[in-house]
Amino acid sequence: MNEVVIDCLGEACPVPLVKAQNKLKELAVGDILIVQIDHSCAMKNVPEWAREDGHNVEVEEVDDGEWEVIIEKVK
Amino acid sequence: MSQFKEAMLKVTENDVYKRWLKTAWPYLTGAVLLSLFQIVTLATTSNPWGVSGVFANWGAWIYEGLGGSVDKWYYFSSEGAQATLNNGFLNHPGTWRNIGIILGALIAVLLASQFKIKKIKSKKQVVAAILGGTMMGYGARIAFGCNIGALFSGIASLSLSGWVFGIAMFFGAMVGSKLLVKFFM
Repeated sequence: MNEVVIDCLGEACPVPLVKAQNKLKELAVGDILIVQIDHSCAMKNVPEWAREDGHNVEVEEVDDGEWEVIIEKVK
Repeated sequence: MSQFKEAMLKVTENDVYKRWLKTAWPYLTGAVLLSLFQIVTLATTSNPWGVSGVFANWGAWIYEGLGGSVDKWYYFSSEGAQATLNNGFLNHPGTWRNIGIILGALIAVLLASQFKIKKIKSKKQVVAAILGGTMMGYGARIAFGCNIGALFSGIASLSLSGWVFGIAMFFGAMVGSKLLVKFFM
């Protein structure tokens, strides 16, 4: 099981979403993708996309205005 | 644990705080509030809501403050525009509204404790921001409105131009998205 972190701090929508989508495609089932974001709309669209796609998603607020979206690829 | 910290933790765990101040409101709530307040704006100032036109006035006031004159500029040549400029910065409803938007956004983000000064990641971001900002500002003045004045207020006033603006903006955004993926991925 792999764990991959992508740093999207300082990046505005929709860059974090597209980067997360591209990265997740490269990963195997069971791998974990952690997307670091500080753009509040990415906190909405990244988890929404991942949940719709059927993956396990958790959002953690790691600091003021900073989040980690943790996605477990399930299929 | 200090009393202050304890009290703060209690607030952040509070359901009312979480629901009203911490979590983003649904888009529908935002849409309803924007609609209501644009009606209030039209009723109280007799002008539809606009944002970017105010910045052109701010520019003119700064330019005049530095000793320049915009009397002969086509954009400011109408009687209405001259009257607005002569009335001054502090008597312009749009000025206060824009200051209110900036302050309101700041208060909202502070209450949600999500304030963060974001770092600039690359020179590309700087170039894109300056280019994009210039084009948006220029385009908004040439079109006599931005996505608020021309699109939102236009459609709310049952004006065909708002729809034309919306269709053009849709295709512009498509081109913009392609450029974004090309340069920022």
